[in-house]
Amino acid sequence: MTVLVLLSVLGLITLFSGFSSDKKLPIYLGIVGLAVVLGFNFMGWDLAHNAYNMVVADNYSIAFTTIMTFSTIFILFLLPDFSEKVEVPLAEITSLLLFTLFGAYLMVSYSNLVMLFIGIEILSISLYILAGSKKSNTASNEAAMKYFLMGSFATGFLLFGITLIYGATGSFDLGTIKTFVTDHAADTSTLLLVGVILMLIGLAFKISAAPFHFWAPDVYQGSPSLVTGFMATVVKTAGIAAFFKLFYTCFIPLADSWRTTIWVMAALTMTIGNITALYQTTFKRMLAYSSIAHAGYLLLALLALNNLSATAILYYATAYSLATIASFAVLITVHQAKQSHSLDSFKGLAKNNPFLAVMATIALCSLAGIPPLAGFFAKFYLFSAVIKEHFYWIVVIAVLNSCVGIFYYFRIIVNMFSPTAEQETIEVSSLYKMVIFVCIILSLVLGLLPDLILRCNL
Amino acid sequence: MVIASKNPIHSVLYLIITFFAIAGHYIMLNAQFLAAVHIIVYAGAIMVLFLFVIMLLNMNEETEPHKSTLLKFAGTIAGGLLLLVLVASFKNINLTSISGNDFARADIGLVKNLGQVLFKQFLLPFEVSSILFLAAIVGVVVLAKKEAQ
Repeated sequence: MTVLVLLSVLGLITLFSGFSSDKKLPIYLGIVGLAVVLGFNFMGWDLAHNAYNMVVADNYSIAFTTIMTFSTIFILFLLPDFSEKVEVPLAEITSLLLFTLFGAYLMVSYSNLVMLFIGIEILSISLYILAGSKKSNTASNEAAMKYFLMGSFATGFLLFGITLIYGATGSFDLGTIKTFVTDHAADTSTLLLVGVILMLIGLAFKISAAPFHFWAPDVYQGSPSLVTGFMATVVKTAGIAAFFKLFYTCFIPLADSWRTTIWVMAALTMTIGNITALYQTTFKRMLAYSSIAHAGYLLLALLALNNLSATAILYYATAYSLATIASFAVLITVHQAKQSHSLDSFKGLAKNNPFLAVMATIALCSLAGIPPLAGFFAKFYLFSAVIKEHFYWIVVIAVLNSCVGIFYYFRIIVNMFSPTAEQETIEVSSLYKMVIFVCIILSLVLGLLPDLILRCNL
Repeated sequence: MVIASKNPIHSVLYLIITFFAIAGHYIMLNAQFLAAVHIIVYAGAIMVLFLFVIMLLNMNEETEPHKSTLLKFAGTIAGGLLLLVLVASFKNINLTSISGNDFARADIGLVKNLGQVLFKQFLLPFEVSSILFLAAIVGVVVLAKKEAQ
């Protein structure tokens, strides 16, 4: 509760610090404030503080909010240099990022469906604006509009699902719903099942799982790169954590009726994401499709729903966020130097800037799942959680898809190390260097010592 | 009539009838306050907004985009299936499973009871939704602000 209050006040402070003459003050305030929020967040570990039966700060929510806060801090570190090239209102953007994080906090710590709904709405409304924050750019406008229309439609489904679940169980409270579902496992009403499926649709939209992924590539490509990085990390983590929490707490007794849906959705999402990513010619769009594919892997944890899956999701989300932020930092640097997102603009990067090339290689290897990086162990733990529940075919599909993934990630690496005629040095600002370096070191450390996260008692 | 009429202004006016019908449902469910608010907010404020937008955009038949028949066909089938599923789920509904008979009380939807629930049980969501509005306000300012030259 303290954390929520602090975060909302922080959003307000950054908003009003926009009046100061120092344009970058909001960003610094945001970073310092988030560090304080992190500290308060940690203090709640093992306490499971419950506020008004609406939000619960248990270990699950604290773990997820911690990685999301770290991702946001990294994104904020990238913001000052990004804003020098791209015209964006800094104070408003910073506070909107913080409000989005606030929504994400609610999405992982809710214990009442009303809170889940409000959290998703805060997150989405702020994101619609962030997607369109590059006002002079038509692609950005299109992204915002598309995201807004599709997002409102998905919210409609989610809300309808919540209503039907309320109609069937008579409560919004997760605990009451759980008791009701367990008691009536034998004679479940169709109303409840339809409600569950409608909620599933609404949440699957938020994590861009197929067949509700059509908005993702255009929105990811049109938004300012930094916002795309934010969407691909924080928003996806919040979405999958909310999804998992709802189904793990409440709907396990009904698993027979929705497991097939998740199975098909996971298989579709992985396959469509990976196969389409193969054909992309721009790095940004390729990352968009690869993030769809990663949503597919994360859906596997919903299939397993055992004691391993919460930690597996946490570990996967951490590994994925670190690697994605590093790749987006590289993408922004290369884009600002060459004014192009195409894969060809990465040609000769190893010669022009060896540091950037090596870091990008490690980040992409982590995304592809090459040992000893965090991405490999993330996939390993996720798949082993699923195998424990005897879903073998989906794991076969997932492994085959990972191989496809390796192919397109390596195409960029090959591009970077291939010789080129043009000789130009690409400048990397010190902040970017630092963020990329920290992300890569953390992926290595997590890859070598996975127990750091797996030990967490969620 | 809302989706069938050619003139968008007529659509909006028919939509008001729909809103009154929904308000009637609220009254039948003993939610008198909600019904009144629904009419005031939707039929009053939102509809005026709709009319303004339509007039500003100056929509007419020529500018209307035409969807392909295949899309229309697919949309109809998908919508029909959703309707079928919903009707089927409502058919064998069993309301006795819900504990408490608060729903039958006549004064349940009055302002006093609504306030009791809103400011006691649902106080936190009520307060948190202010953040939602704040984010929306900031968004409007960001989008509407003049570009500094």
